[in-house]
Amino acid sequence: MGAAFGDTLAKAQAGDEAAFASIFREVQPSLLRYLRMITPDPEDVAGDTWVQVVAGLEGFRGEEQAFRAWLFTIARHRAVDAGRSRTRRPAVPLEMSEVAEQLTSPDTADLALEAVSSRAAVALIATLPREQAEIIMLRVVAGLDNADVARIVRKTPGAVRVAAHRGLRRLADQAERTGVTR
Amino acid sequence: MSGPDAMHGEMPGYFPGRPGGGEHDEPLLDMILDRRPLPPGAPPEMHVLVRTLAAVAGPADPRELAGEAAALAAFRRSVSRVGPSHAAQRPARRWLSWRPARVRLPLAAALVATAAGLGSIVAAYVGVLPGPIQEVAHVTVGAPSASRDNSSRAHTPTSPPRSSPHPSDLSGYRPASSPGLTPAPSQANQQQPHRGVSPSPGHAVPTCTPGPVPTRHPVKPGPTQYPTPGQSNWTPRPSPTGGCPVIVPQTP
Repeated sequence: MGAAFGDTLAKAQAGDEAAFASIFREVQPSLLRYLRMITPDPEDVAGDTWVQVVAGLEGFRGEEQAFRAWLFTIARHRAVDAGRSRTRRPAVPLEMSEVAEQLTSPDTADLALEAVSSRAAVALIATLPREQAEIIMLRVVAGLDNADVARIVRKTPGAVRVAAHRGLRRLADQAERTGVTR
Repeated sequence: MSGPDAMHGEMPGYFPGRPGGGEHDEPLLDMILDRRPLPPGAPPEMHVLVRTLAAVAGPADPRELAGEAAALAAFRRSVSRVGPSHAAQRPARRWLSWRPARVRLPLAAALVATAAGLGSIVAAYVGVLPGPIQEVAHVTVGAPSASRDNSSRAHTPTSPPRSSPHPSDLSGYRPASSPGLTPAPSQANQQQPHRGVSPSPGHAVPTCTPGPVPTRHPVKPGPTQYPTPGQSNWTPRPSPTGGCPVIVPQTP
């Protein structure tokens, strides 16, 4: 949300529903996509997360980055509380072949960023080992840096960076093996 | 394009896609994670990663916002419960409900003491206090003497008093009718539904039984928040007057 975030947050904290709705629409997609990596019930956990965010909203102090770190920390706790922290992988809606097909279709050959649907891309990330997938989502989707992610997943920033690199290398390898790199 | 061999034939020197293929790709991977643009000459699989992660962080699908109504409902509940942080709304809400220990109890205790004091005076005037105390009242506030018609009253505790002033003339006796000192019912009940305990008439004011006043004019359970024994540190002093605290008004 950029520079406007502070104003929007202040309005939401003062009870402005439209401001809160704006924050929700900004954050919810990334929240759901992150939760898909760590729980089979992302919608339910996201709902629990917002309930807690709403309850603590008035007392929150900080900038957008801190807000995101706070919110995703809550989300992770709620996912753990749900008792379903991914012991089994969440259902991957798309097969890798489908992702690969999308990545190699004539329409996407020009590397247009919007050519790959979010759904296919999230499904692709979900094929990674859970820890790598979670860290990549927190880095890229939540927009957090290594230090913030380290606090959320309770690892060192160095370990976070290594895990993210491993995940990306694995993705690149998959892309290579499925012949989508051209 | 059919495989890695062809790719590496085109882009010699880059092996970023190979797991465990070395550390030289780290700067590029950090750029990708930070969503910074790749430098010219970056290998194709790095661009695939950029595309993939851009899609992961792409625009919202309408289905992803399906939870908005529920989130807004939670937001509205929270706002209505706590109240928005507009400064103008704070004082009224805080006045009694938010500070029970520091504001409400002392205030309630003062109300009770006042009511009990007035009740004692009323009781003294109608001559229902035990002899010694009635005598004190007789001396201090001019209440009837303890010896006056005491025997008949003791046998008819619920009969209407014949002496004046009538209790209803003493404004302020019934605390439930003290305007301006109690929170509005809606506020008190909404904020602290379990703390705005409506005391029973017997507990609302330390009653001076036997006596006609509480019987004829029972204090209606109302929003006035009196501490009740067991709920607070306020305890009526046991007294020989049937539960009526002995409060001797100060004479000027």
